[in-house]
Amino acid sequence: MTIKSGTGQACAACKYQRRRCTPECLLAPFFPADQPKMFQNVHKLFGVKHIQNLLKELDPDQKAMAMKSIKFHAAMRDKYPVYGCLVEIQQLTYQIQLAEEELQAVLQQLAYYRQQNQQQEMSPTNDYLSQLQLGMEPPGNNNPVSFVHPDNPTQYNAVTALPINVPPHASYSNNGDVDYNTNYLDSKENNVVDSLWIQQAYSYSNNDNNNSMVMQPQLTTSNPEETNQDYNEMHPFFDNIDDRQSFIGSKEVYESSLESSQKDSRQAVEQMAENELKSAAACFSLTQNQIEGCSI
Amino acid sequence: MASSSSTYSNPPCAACKFLRRKCVPNCIFSPYFPPEEPTKFINVHKIFGASNVSKLLQEILPHQREDAVNSLAYEAEARLKDPVYGCVGAISVLQRQVLLLQKELDATNADLMRYTNVNIDQMPNKNSYSSAAILNQNGECFGKRVGYGSGSFDPVSLPYNSSTSWYNGPNSEENS
Repeated sequence: MTIKSGTGQACAACKYQRRRCTPECLLAPFFPADQPKMFQNVHKLFGVKHIQNLLKELDPDQKAMAMKSIKFHAAMRDKYPVYGCLVEIQQLTYQIQLAEEELQAVLQQLAYYRQQNQQQEMSPTNDYLSQLQLGMEPPGNNNPVSFVHPDNPTQYNAVTALPINVPPHASYSNNGDVDYNTNYLDSKENNVVDSLWIQQAYSYSNNDNNNSMVMQPQLTTSNPEETNQDYNEMHPFFDNIDDRQSFIGSKEVYESSLESSQKDSRQAVEQMAENELKSAAACFSLTQNQIEGCSI
Repeated sequence: MASSSSTYSNPPCAACKFLRRKCVPNCIFSPYFPPEEPTKFINVHKIFGASNVSKLLQEILPHQREDAVNSLAYEAEARLKDPVYGCVGAISVLQRQVLLLQKELDATNADLMRYTNVNIDQMPNKNSYSSAAILNQNGECFGKRVGYGSGSFDPVSLPYNSSTSWYNGPNSEENS
């Protein structure tokens, strides 16, 4: 038997307890009459007395939020009598673990594709290297690889120019990925991504010194001394030819290989012919001695 | 007749000790509230009440009661630490973490799609369907694949709505 109050129907709490719902009822704002199941769940888990004690200890602005959480708590306990809210916590923890694992896997794939992109960008510089080794003239200023990094010539490497040469469709660092960068990198600046590129590129250049030494001749305006030194290292055959003693034959024969000295080449050819004759004669004499030796 | 059994009887459980009553041999609390852990029962009793806990345990199978008591103890401790949100605060924090991770995952997948499309464009025989296949494989939202859990609680952004999924009738049964 429900006793209706002057304002309207009794709340679900008073209806359940079969008592008069007064205007001062603490639970009336939170348990409307049309939701009896909600109050039953809460009453089953907490009890009316404990709910009233909880509400008395809270501020008026916290009561509504507290009742929301209590209702949710009771509903979870009704749905899962053994574990209650722990089911939701366990599920969320598992989802977080899955998400983190998937994020790691995707980041690895992304790193792989970035590395592939870097290698593809480096492939034109290998052709340039082969041309230089063949003694061909270095290309002019129109070379897309030519560029200057005046501040850090030691960090000079072809990859630092990649952000310049990267095609628009392959660039990623500064084109609309701010949210990704700030979220993943904990609100760091976008330059961190570029610095990561530079760090990777620096390690690549350290591993492949030939490329870096070949590329550095382009730094004509920044560090001439270092350029000259590297240029010397690049062309050992042309500058340090006097120090090369391990070559076969005489020094004159070695010098004759240069295109600039045609006279020496003629002399070398003649001398080579003489040497061959001498060596042939020596072999002939040796064979004769062997024959004579065997006959004894 | 002095009862010598008192010498050999088990000490009262934490519940009976707190309630100051005789701990009978078939006390429902004694297996789960040992006398060495008085705080456990005190917290549970303060939030839920001994009678409510007793009724709950009687409705559960005996082999599940220990887990039920442990979960109640955890929830009671959480409610004592945070009277407003209780253990639901931890749930909302975890939900936000899942959303953040989902956003990061989607952004990373979008980056990955960009690279895979570049590589496909560079291939001599590029197939337009291959990029779509990769998109279906990687671009699908993480939340749609895994699900957001059985219930959702967001005390900050959304007002309480009685038409939430968990109130209108859970479909899944408890995994025990």
